[in-house]
Amino acid sequence: MIKAKNVVKVFPGYAGVVRAVDGVSTEVARGEVVVIIGPSGSGKSTFLRCINGLETFTEGHIIIDGVDLANKKTNINKVRAEVGMVFQQFNLFPHMTVLENLTLAQRRVRKRSKKEAEDKARMLLRKVGIHEKANEYPSRLSGGQQQRVAIARALAMDPKIMLFDEPTSALDPEMVGEVLDVMKQLAKEGMTMMVVTHEMGFAREVADRVIFMDEGKVVEVGTPEHFFTNPQEERAKLFLKQVL
Amino acid sequence: MNATDKTWPWKLLLAVILLGAAAGTWGAVQKIDYQWRWNRVPQYFMYLAEEAQKTPFDGTVTSVVANGRDLTVTLTSATAEKAVFTVTADSFKAKAGEALFAGDTVGFAANWRFGPLMVGLWTTLWISAVSSVFGLILGLVTGLARVSKNITIRGLALVYVECIRGTPLLVQIFIAYFFLGTVFNLSRNVCGVGALALFAGAYVAEIVRAGIQSISKGQAEAARSLGMTTFQTMWDIILPQALKRILPPLSGQFISLIKDSSLVSVIAITDLTKSGREIITSTFATFEVWIVVAAMYLLVTSLLSQLVYYIERRFAVSD
Repeated sequence: MIKAKNVVKVFPGYAGVVRAVDGVSTEVARGEVVVIIGPSGSGKSTFLRCINGLETFTEGHIIIDGVDLANKKTNINKVRAEVGMVFQQFNLFPHMTVLENLTLAQRRVRKRSKKEAEDKARMLLRKVGIHEKANEYPSRLSGGQQQRVAIARALAMDPKIMLFDEPTSALDPEMVGEVLDVMKQLAKEGMTMMVVTHEMGFAREVADRVIFMDEGKVVEVGTPEHFFTNPQEERAKLFLKQVL
Repeated sequence: MNATDKTWPWKLLLAVILLGAAAGTWGAVQKIDYQWRWNRVPQYFMYLAEEAQKTPFDGTVTSVVANGRDLTVTLTSATAEKAVFTVTADSFKAKAGEALFAGDTVGFAANWRFGPLMVGLWTTLWISAVSSVFGLILGLVTGLARVSKNITIRGLALVYVECIRGTPLLVQIFIAYFFLGTVFNLSRNVCGVGALALFAGAYVAEIVRAGIQSISKGQAEAARSLGMTTFQTMWDIILPQALKRILPPLSGQFISLIKDSSLVSVIAITDLTKSGREIITSTFATFEVWIVVAAMYLLVTSLLSQLVYYIERRFAVSD
């Protein structure tokens, strides 16, 4: 489904260039849940953002459903419509109601009718448990509710893959659970997911595979069981010692 | 400040200061030799125009009917053509049955007409309105160009903004009229409105650019990640939020534009300011006319800012 081959992302910095993503290769199969963990600045978010073209990468290939993002002729908007993204800062559209947040892209990109888009939106809001807030503006919602709306907004496009970029990092602790529950449910339903997170409990419970990144490189890959109980690399051991 | 603190002593102080300033001005005016003639001003808002009513053909007065303070006079020619005039009673010198020749004055009709102040105000309003619309469109396009990825477009916008902001509006109006107006054979109204629109556009562009850049990058990223195009993202997500944020500085710019429009009087457009100058040449009521002109500008700009406050409150629903 997703195939990354030797992806390199170079940022120009003050002291020469920064290789934020440095030769990452991985494959994600349909229905698989991959969790990427690592210390901050390890390039995990940048790599995730490369997958839906929010960052352009310097070298390598990312192939989604047979479409290569490195190819200049690729219509990135078409790819993005199939790849949902959930951000750390929610990024709901504050000038629109919850319902409008969910219907806008459906109507503009998927060209659905108003009724069709609203039915879909209400169904998804019910699924994430906040259908009673459909006509509220995002500023009236708690962080956890906003993030659930953001997930519903991405799902409204019927994406083939969902990317989560630290979806719980900006939340108050008591709201983390409600968002993780939605994500777990999605995983159970067979959604293909790539999740950058610091929630080790979630990684352990839901992930099919854990990728540990540091300094732009993939350091260790394995099943959660293997990774959390018996990591091979020193860097991974050190990281786990600090976070667990 | 404590919520229970009294505010009335401060309000009183404010009133005392304002009254003091007014009294001081009044006192100072008393010391100079100036004859106030406020009674000369109203006629320049509206006046009763006496217009001669002339018969187009030779004929006789066949009927004279009193109609309040006016007379309705009917003339009939030899070929039974009829013409009806309404004239004031004291201006009708002929009698019923009397013969009048083509071009004779039957009498005078009195009609209310707008005076130079109102005509000037109208000119100021339409010049401001038209140049605001063009300035807004120009500013929006230039503001978008300023944040464009294309270096050529960005460069063009930058040169335009810098040239306009770096030169005085008065000089721009002179260049528009005496140089561009001559070369391209443009009327003075086109030159005046054009110069104002170009001027406003440069400032609006910077306001729009600041507004767009003040919207967090996450908004554009969220829209793009849903598959929306650059244009859809700008139109549906960025601009509506930016517009709400830039409404106060934008309205300030348009209020400035109304005031700046007074400069077009230098190329002989009879706006409110030029009307004022013309009235002074015939009345010598310098103080009164300038005070009235200032009050009329103030009235227009206050109404505009009230309108903007109203719109701001309407926009605040999603806060």
